[in-house]
Amino acid sequence: MTVTPPIAATHASRTFDAIELSILWARLISLVDEAGTTLQRTAFSSVTRESADFAVVLMDTQGQSLAQSSVSVPSFLGVLPFLVKALLQEYFPLDQWQPGDVVITNDPWLCAGHKPDIGIVSPIFYGQTDKGRPRLVGFIGCIAHSPDIGGTLWGANARDFYEEGLYIPPMKLFDAGRRNETLFRLIETNVRTPQQTIGDIMAQVAANEQGMRSLQRLMEEYDLREIDTLGAHIIAASEKAMRDAIRQAPDGTYCAEYEADGDGLHQPVLLKCTLTIRDDEIWVDYTGSSPAHPLAINAALNYVFAYTAYPIKCVFSPEVPNNEGSFRPIHVWAPEGSLLNAKKPAPLGARNVTGNLLYAPVMLALSQAVPDRVQADCGAAVWVMVLSGHHDDGREFVEYLFLAGGYGGRKGLPGAPTLCYPTNVANVPVEVFENDAPVLVLEKRLLPRSGGAGQYPGGAGQRFAYRNIGKNPIHISNVTEKIQHQAYGLFGGEPGRRGRLFVLTAQGKRRFTPPKGHDILRPGETLVMELPGGGGYGPPSRRRRSKVKVDADLSSSSRAYDGE
Amino acid sequence: MKLGIDIGGTFTDLVLLDERSGDITLGKTLTTYPDPLEGILHGVEQMEQNSGVPLSEVEVIVHGTTLVTNAVIERKGARTALLTTKGFEDVLEIGREMRYDIYDLFLTMPKPLVPRSLRIGIRQRIDKDGRVLEPLDLAQVAEVADRLMRRGVQSVAVSFLHSFANAEHERAVGEFLRQKYPHLTVSLSSEVLPEIREYERTSATVMNAYVQPIAHTYAHRLKEALERRGFGGEILIMNSAGRLTTLEEARRFPVQLLESGPAGGIMAGVFFQRQLNEGGMEVSHLLTFDMGGTTAKASVIRHGQPEITHHFEAARERRFKKGSGLPVRIPVIDMIEIGAGGGSIARLDSLGLLTVGPDSAASQPGPACYGRGGQFPTVTDADLVLGLLNEHYFLGGAMTLRRDLAEEAIEKHIARPLGIRLEEAAWGIHRVVNENMANAARVHILEKGFDPRSFTMLAFGGAGPVHAFAVARLLGLSRLIVPRAAGVLSALGFLVSPLASEATFSYISPLEHLDWPRLNARLNELEKSRRQFLQEAGVEPQEIHVRRIAEMRYAGQGHEITVRLPAGTLSPASVSEIARNFEEEYALRYGHVLPHMPIESVTWRVVVSGPSPQFALHQRVEKSLSPTPHKGQRLVFLGNGWEEVPVFDRYALPEAQRFQGPCILEERESTTVVGHKATVWRDCFDNLIIEMC
Repeated sequence: MTVTPPIAATHASRTFDAIELSILWARLISLVDEAGTTLQRTAFSSVTRESADFAVVLMDTQGQSLAQSSVSVPSFLGVLPFLVKALLQEYFPLDQWQPGDVVITNDPWLCAGHKPDIGIVSPIFYGQTDKGRPRLVGFIGCIAHSPDIGGTLWGANARDFYEEGLYIPPMKLFDAGRRNETLFRLIETNVRTPQQTIGDIMAQVAANEQGMRSLQRLMEEYDLREIDTLGAHIIAASEKAMRDAIRQAPDGTYCAEYEADGDGLHQPVLLKCTLTIRDDEIWVDYTGSSPAHPLAINAALNYVFAYTAYPIKCVFSPEVPNNEGSFRPIHVWAPEGSLLNAKKPAPLGARNVTGNLLYAPVMLALSQAVPDRVQADCGAAVWVMVLSGHHDDGREFVEYLFLAGGYGGRKGLPGAPTLCYPTNVANVPVEVFENDAPVLVLEKRLLPRSGGAGQYPGGAGQRFAYRNIGKNPIHISNVTEKIQHQAYGLFGGEPGRRGRLFVLTAQGKRRFTPPKGHDILRPGETLVMELPGGGGYGPPSRRRRSKVKVDADLSSSSRAYDGE
Repeated sequence: MKLGIDIGGTFTDLVLLDERSGDITLGKTLTTYPDPLEGILHGVEQMEQNSGVPLSEVEVIVHGTTLVTNAVIERKGARTALLTTKGFEDVLEIGREMRYDIYDLFLTMPKPLVPRSLRIGIRQRIDKDGRVLEPLDLAQVAEVADRLMRRGVQSVAVSFLHSFANAEHERAVGEFLRQKYPHLTVSLSSEVLPEIREYERTSATVMNAYVQPIAHTYAHRLKEALERRGFGGEILIMNSAGRLTTLEEARRFPVQLLESGPAGGIMAGVFFQRQLNEGGMEVSHLLTFDMGGTTAKASVIRHGQPEITHHFEAARERRFKKGSGLPVRIPVIDMIEIGAGGGSIARLDSLGLLTVGPDSAASQPGPACYGRGGQFPTVTDADLVLGLLNEHYFLGGAMTLRRDLAEEAIEKHIARPLGIRLEEAAWGIHRVVNENMANAARVHILEKGFDPRSFTMLAFGGAGPVHAFAVARLLGLSRLIVPRAAGVLSALGFLVSPLASEATFSYISPLEHLDWPRLNARLNELEKSRRQFLQEAGVEPQEIHVRRIAEMRYAGQGHEITVRLPAGTLSPASVSEIARNFEEEYALRYGHVLPHMPIESVTWRVVVSGPSPQFALHQRVEKSLSPTPHKGQRLVFLGNGWEEVPVFDRYALPEAQRFQGPCILEERESTTVVGHKATVWRDCFDNLIIEMC
């Protein structure tokens, strides 16, 4: 990642005092939140709406982030500004934008790391320049996970980039307000769910427009000609907060190695993180991590940056609204062509599997510097299981399931059961799942004693099992983690229990199903999943009930189930 | 004669209404702990003295209480057990597997109301279409029940998978338990909330069970106590949706009372909207704005109807954080609540920026100017320093405010660190809190697809009229109403609410594939049962109004919108009208429609209501002691330097005479601030009307 120097205050047409700054900053966040709400409510993609897998970001004329919607997922931290800067540099220079333009792309290296994430960017104009032309004052962009983008079904098994569906390089979806019919037609004809995919793209366009109008109203109300100056103040404030927090941590180089399942069979991956805190900056170097993987779990560097910056922000300045300034003191590097800086045509479809793990070595390294502010490892970033097939009456279905393992213990607090980190995804209710797909859920409950013991024990994972009760086979795509590795404990806390998954045949026999990959669940077969528990924090010997204010039943390690 | 009684956290408010004359008498007494009945009886006695009307002449008492809410928040409900389908015992604890704050590593999730040891899986299974896959094991139920009784369980919730499609098993368990253990309260999910999504349904059912024993006891004691004092009429209870229900129904579904107090305030808005329209003022969209000591609440009333939502959370881990509470998908009046009140604390955050709230100095220690040891500057302190409040006329002079302490707190914590003047700092606090409230109200209104500028604001609560003008300005509104009796608005709202009941069921299907006979049968069945309920409560059949609605979405979406259904028997011929209604609503909210997407239904609702009480309100107007409304002048800071501003006695304001802003109108419970470029006058109902240009 390159770091853009703070913009010089050459166009500082006015200054803002602490009160104005508070007010205007809150308004900017409020306006991206308004846009985000609209997007979330109108989206068809279950990932977008249920798991808030989207972000809306307001940027200045240089593509620097000023405000990001509060509910968005971490994977999009810093991504839109990165995209807009690239658009400005390589595709559409500043003077080529016109009112009514809308740019679209799903380029994984520019956008959010895999093709289902579609980025939509709109320029914002307000007032006129000295030459009487509309004045470009900034950009608003959003990224959302598309219901379908063609190619093989989403999962970890594409052999290369080209199998992963339609690629949309940065192009104008609307040119000065005119629809690019060719592009619309191309997208419609290359995806499985044309109406929903286009519906979501239009929802993104509408979200941008809403944010745009709100900004224009705000500028009118406060008599602002541009927002770069305001932006510079906001960015500077966030940057200072982040730097102040980092400065308080002891300087040093902290190393952590973290081995993860990889393909879950024979090829684990190694994440090696050398984290250096020097004064008020942090460098994270992933040199020594695994090379590119044959499975589609490789990650582009922009995505790696987002998932590295996220835990750092959680540890150092969780309360400060994030923008460009929050991330300036953070530098991330991984060797080119490696797992964490994959290059075309490496497949990236399930890059979340890898990105979702980066917090673990980062947290482990940080535990050496700021032991009170980290958490033990979580059982699962999230397990993603995609089902597709046909109902008995011939209707087609595709269903995404998200499952959480146990949360890691923290100083003073046990880990909660079934919460993910860093992902944050609502589950699909059992009753909804059974309506959507020809399945019967046999069990969904917490796994006793799956969380690691500790002074503050790890949270429990869960067991989830469903049977194919239709007449047709169901195609399943599994993306799991911690089948072979355990969630680590910290400072004497024990690791969480490993996950398991297998299929029970109609005859009740166990059979293998790939932890990462595709399989067929035949009629009568049952998929059983046991999600890993979180790691404990502190030695179990120091667990004192009086000090840990928690229902004994909440702690996975404390008691067995009735009847078990 | 009708009597409204609202038990709030601090005060119990009473309003006695003579429906023939429209005369009302107000009463206020301290809420008593632990037994709120004492306060009620004391208030009733006062009321009898003040009005000369004995309780025996009162025909209807409408009551609302925070009892249920407090029991949940303080976790003081009954020892409750939960029976689920075997294999799904942890549904309460697993929840939706989502963190409510993505940056806070140290967050805690709300603790389930039923511990693991009292959550028991029962052998039975029903599929999504309501077919029984595994019969109910009643022998196991009997064995489990016996064990639970021995463990002191007082209340049982039963929530089986797909019980909204087939309630047979839940009913069988219910009958068994009720018969065998007559003192046990039993809540069935198919009765409390027959809707799809097991976590939400179970959560509501468990909460109902958790508060049911308390509600039972309370209802019983209330009735007895009032009857002992000569009351022979009917007791109705306010629910969270601004609807009245019978005491019996409230006992069965106490969870529906969670938000009855705030609902009362908003229903008072409905009353005032009607009154204003009768007075010739056209008010189609009303924004209620209620600002108290700790929070501000805003809500939208459209054409006399409050907005109803089914997304409600109780007992949040963090009061203002969505997703941090226990979901209860009952009908509640949709309102936003933010941490902005007179007691909200102002401070400089780690960035050196000025923030206000959400934490509050509340009434103890209270704002610095209360002189009770509050160290931090609050909104009330700022208002005082700015000259908006009168230190000698707070609560009608019952309390003197310490201006010196307010100044000291603001100077020390805000002005000096920022290097600005005292009044600038105070003005900053005032502006920031106003912005917070306006932002929240704006998002709330936009989410519903309305233009904020089309609204008239109705302001109440102690701090409401002080800040309403500025908030209305920020939202671009042109009219603001400050009613009288702002102090007992909730109780007044009770008296204008209709008796009503809602029944629902989930039936997920694309519009074209609906099984019409099945749908009509369900709708008719619900309508019949709700009609019967109203008739039993004394509503004449011809006065019953039925509204049928469905929660619908484009197939594949996860969020539903509320759509009106045509009257009469539905058939394939109704599809086009339903689709049109859906598109209209969709376009209103989201600005566009998707013409080729199939539309599907999720949940169907029948709302049956009795007539809204009709009466004109005549409050005995409080006579002012002063002969002239003009109390004097004072120096006020409204952003552009100190200015001399006239101060009026609200009680002495002549009707219909217009005064120019800026000015200040004082009354006992509050102070109305009118800024520049506005006029204020008093209408014939004793409301203040402020028109902004």
